[in-house]
Amino acid sequence: MGRIIVANRRGHQVVEWEVEDAAAVKEAERILREAREQGCAVSKKVDGQHVIDTAPFDPRVEEYQIIAPIAGG
Amino acid sequence: MPAVKSFLERLFGRTPASAAQAAVDPPLERPWLQRWAHVPKRSAGFDFSMGDYHEARARGREVARTTLGEDRWAELQRRGYLDLQSRLYPGMTYRLRTGRRIEVRCADGVRPPWPERFLCINPTYPLPEEEFLAHLYLYVRDREEEVVRVAAPQPWDQTLGRTF
Repeated sequence: MGRIIVANRRGHQVVEWEVEDAAAVKEAERILREAREQGCAVSKKVDGQHVIDTAPFDPRVEEYQIIAPIAGG
Repeated sequence: MPAVKSFLERLFGRTPASAAQAAVDPPLERPWLQRWAHVPKRSAGFDFSMGDYHEARARGREVARTTLGEDRWAELQRRGYLDLQSRLYPGMTYRLRTGRRIEVRCADGVRPPWPERFLCINPTYPLPEEEFLAHLYLYVRDREEEVVRVAAPQPWDQTLGRTF
């Protein structure tokens, strides 16, 4: 099972999918794309740690995280 | 009186039985779709109860720990800050502290790129402060150019306005 950690004011909420579940995969991909289009960064878990990632959504990734855009001041 | 009772329950995070399920599993919030300029500093919004803050901070802490990894998390707990060497400016270090501005530290003889010692950088929507520290850590380590682009240099230290 893959998951997206959506960092928000609630601390985080989670979107999960099974690779075989096409609808769930599509929804996860849509959420990730939407966040990126609005300026969010995305990290994915690689070898046990999160790194910022710019590659297209991959349903085989264990864990993504949506990271808030940053602003000065 | 039901309205008062409902208000007090909301304020202290005690939800009526009929709303209990919704409180346990609120709908997914996609904060990038909302505007947050009207929300007061150090706040998550007028609809947040004390219970919501407590839960959000606990969940933010959990994600921060996962994001940083056990070694860095332990370092943060022990020291109270995380230091990251700059890739762009040799001899310069970013000191990240929970809920506060980034402190720029330079080795002897190194001239910092900013005239001021602190960098004010906030998330564009409200987040628990430990969770945002983990985000800043990723930005500084993996996207330093973005940090340099948005940073607002300041002469004094201060808490961040968009975290709680």
